[in-house]
Amino acid sequence: MSGLPGFLIDDRLHFPSCPSQGGQRFLVEMAAPLTLLLVLAVTIRAALFRSSLAELIAERVEVVSPITAWKRVVEGLALLDLGVSPYSGDVFHETPLIIYLFHFVVDYAEITFMLADVITAVALYMAVKDYNKQVFRKQKFALEADRYPLDCLELIRSPKEMYYIPLKVAMFYLLNPFTILSCVAKSTCGLNNAVVALFIFSTIKGNTLLSAIFLCLATYQSIYPLTLCAPAMLYLMQRQYIPVNFRRASFWWFIAQYLFMYLGSLFVLICLSFFLLGSWDYMPSVYGFILSVPDLTPNIGLFWYFFAEMFEHFRLFFLCVFQINVFFYTIPLSVKLKEHPVFLIFMQLAVISIFKSYPTVGDIALYMAFLPVWSHLYRFLRNTFLVSCVLLACSTLFPVLWHLWIYAGSANSNFYYAITLLFNVAQILLVSDYFYAFLRREHHLTYGLYLKRKDGSEATLVLK
Amino acid sequence: QEFSCQIWGIFFLKKTFKGNLRNYWNFLPEGFINTQLFTRFLSRISQDSAGQFFSSGHTNNWAVLVCTSRFWFNYRHVANTLSVYRSVKRLGIPDSHIVLMLADDMACNHRNPKPATVFSHKNMELNVYGDDVEVDYRGYEVTVENFLRVLTGRLPPSTPRSKRLLSDDRSNILIYLTGHGGNGFLKFQDSEEISNVELADAFEQMWQKRRYNELLFIIDTCQGASMYERFYSPNLMALASSQVGEDSLSHQPDLAIGVHLMDRYTFYLLEFLEDIHPASKANMNDLFKVCPKSQCVSTPGHRTDLFLRDPGSVLITDFFGSVRKVEITTEAIDLTDPIKEVEERPANGDVHKEMHSYVDQLPVSEIIHQKPKQKDWHPPDGFILGLWTLILLVFFQTYGVKHLRHIF
Repeated sequence: MSGLPGFLIDDRLHFPSCPSQGGQRFLVEMAAPLTLLLVLAVTIRAALFRSSLAELIAERVEVVSPITAWKRVVEGLALLDLGVSPYSGDVFHETPLIIYLFHFVVDYAEITFMLADVITAVALYMAVKDYNKQVFRKQKFALEADRYPLDCLELIRSPKEMYYIPLKVAMFYLLNPFTILSCVAKSTCGLNNAVVALFIFSTIKGNTLLSAIFLCLATYQSIYPLTLCAPAMLYLMQRQYIPVNFRRASFWWFIAQYLFMYLGSLFVLICLSFFLLGSWDYMPSVYGFILSVPDLTPNIGLFWYFFAEMFEHFRLFFLCVFQINVFFYTIPLSVKLKEHPVFLIFMQLAVISIFKSYPTVGDIALYMAFLPVWSHLYRFLRNTFLVSCVLLACSTLFPVLWHLWIYAGSANSNFYYAITLLFNVAQILLVSDYFYAFLRREHHLTYGLYLKRKDGSEATLVLK
Repeated sequence: QEFSCQIWGIFFLKKTFKGNLRNYWNFLPEGFINTQLFTRFLSRISQDSAGQFFSSGHTNNWAVLVCTSRFWFNYRHVANTLSVYRSVKRLGIPDSHIVLMLADDMACNHRNPKPATVFSHKNMELNVYGDDVEVDYRGYEVTVENFLRVLTGRLPPSTPRSKRLLSDDRSNILIYLTGHGGNGFLKFQDSEEISNVELADAFEQMWQKRRYNELLFIIDTCQGASMYERFYSPNLMALASSQVGEDSLSHQPDLAIGVHLMDRYTFYLLEFLEDIHPASKANMNDLFKVCPKSQCVSTPGHRTDLFLRDPGSVLITDFFGSVRKVEITTEAIDLTDPIKEVEERPANGDVHKEMHSYVDQLPVSEIIHQKPKQKDWHPPDGFILGLWTLILLVFFQTYGVKHLRHIF
């Protein structure tokens, strides 16, 4: 039995109430460690910016992709200064809002990216803090309503263990080598992560409009966050006590509201982008590029090798298959996890990072930042050793095999793709492992920790 | 036109007569009687000849002249090449269209008793070096690789134009090689050799890259005929100074200079070419007859099976000279009157527009401005306005309108 600060009275658990949740106090409690963490993160990034590693990292294909490379942003802005549309040719695949942003801050790009990382970390920190409060409150109500079997006391979470989770989340994001590499390479993935983090924060705070707007911004930049609509809607409905029932009018009305806000802001953004350059050039350059994957530069994703060896006849078919694969898991996962939308957000982010057309390590860093939130699942995780070893090994093997392939000439693309495949398999294993652990915990919370068959013998749980 | 009819008529009737053009003049009265009868026939021939002039298919001429041997005792090879160079230049091909490769410098060789000269005839009758020779590849630059690169055009980007063969598919190219050779090879610089297979492949590359219209290949070496045995590309005509198994011999030594001055074949070739002038109608069949066995000791050979036109219809000047396309017009242009300037009078009399002060005549500051004035792109104002309005709207919607009171 872990040391629970609760009292067992009459076979019921009582917990002291949480500290008061003033709206302004959520930062004050852990301001000092968070600030220290931010300072440390900024120092590390600044040191790496000043060193000679910056150019080296900025060219690595695992860190930058054709849609996020800083070199291309600079090229696009230079083209614009010369009077040519940046979308002519295959150089620039960023959205017009990025042009607008960097037109003014291109000299302070390093500060911008560090600021984006800081914003992401702080947004995640506050989001997870709020989420923890919600989780704890729900748990308290469930305990008082006697919904947990008695033998799953070990699974109950306490405020003490949850106290450091937000800080851990911020730490996991800021001090993750993937994030640091992505920031030093000045990959615009950092900006995308910031927008997604702000979306998560506004969703968890319950602000429908802001959530729709940030989701719209994230979708506008790369199409895949569209799948985060479902968990956002589920969470907001849960927060507003709208039951998730197809026959209820309030359900459809909320969905209509959210979609209206989302699609409306998307429409406004697209029209505004038209007015920046006065042409619709950016649509095929940005969205056509993401969806039709013309650039087959190797990266840590699954698309490039497959489409390099594809016959033209089948290209469209397999393109559709691969792209649908990203969006396909939304509905089944939402059906299964409709009570737990934040876990659904985590799963969706992971699916997007693995299956998107041009993934980079910055995308991976975002969903890995969430892992401390589910640290209570550690006792049900089955593959931690394998997954961590494979991820570490693959991360180190990427540059090695790239060097062997491109520079030494003694390997070929199969080697690199093998490591890519292994890396993605490890990520899928990680995600499915957490899924299993989460569902198993929920099952235990409903049916008790020590499962017994009808005749009393011990049973085991199998995920089908 | 009558005149040319007669010339062509006589040529047609007397085509067995070998000799110089001046001998035709002697036969003019004799042929005059027949002209009346054959006028129409001859006029058709002249139209054919005029048509032939324009139907030979080439628009420019190039020459690649290579001497492959070095050392003082190979003086004759340099003299060979220079004599062909001289003829080719005299007949109209400019230096820009000649790639001259000499493997050694005889004119300024320290053993040359008459520096800055290269003689082809003994007793110093003819200095083929002249005073406007342009040697493109000299000394150790004459290698098999450079020769093949010149032919195929695969030169590094830094190569100057004078070292390139910039021919196109309408070029007639003359290639002249001389030096020491054997059965199937030609020796370059005493250290390497080019084989007949390599040469044939190089010509095939030229054909595939459309680098020549017709190509005349002349080689003056021992067993020279072996070098053209392997040709397989179309439109090649080849001449060699000796057959396989024979040696090409040198002509005559000059006792003052101390070396043999020329090879026999090229000596008689030079003599033949000296009688050719740009309007000459001599054709390839005359060239095949240069240096018979009685003069050359070796048997010159030629190969025409790859050549699409009949050699009798190919003029010497198609390869050795340069094409001049002349259009005759009967209009008269008066060049005696001075060109009048058009004077502009401004209507309202402000003269300042026309008068430029000396300083402002040229916009020098714009011309020599180093950095181009870059007009920086700015996002349109409408965009900025729209974007910030939206941001403000969202901000106030989120945080309530009551905050507005605190701001104002």
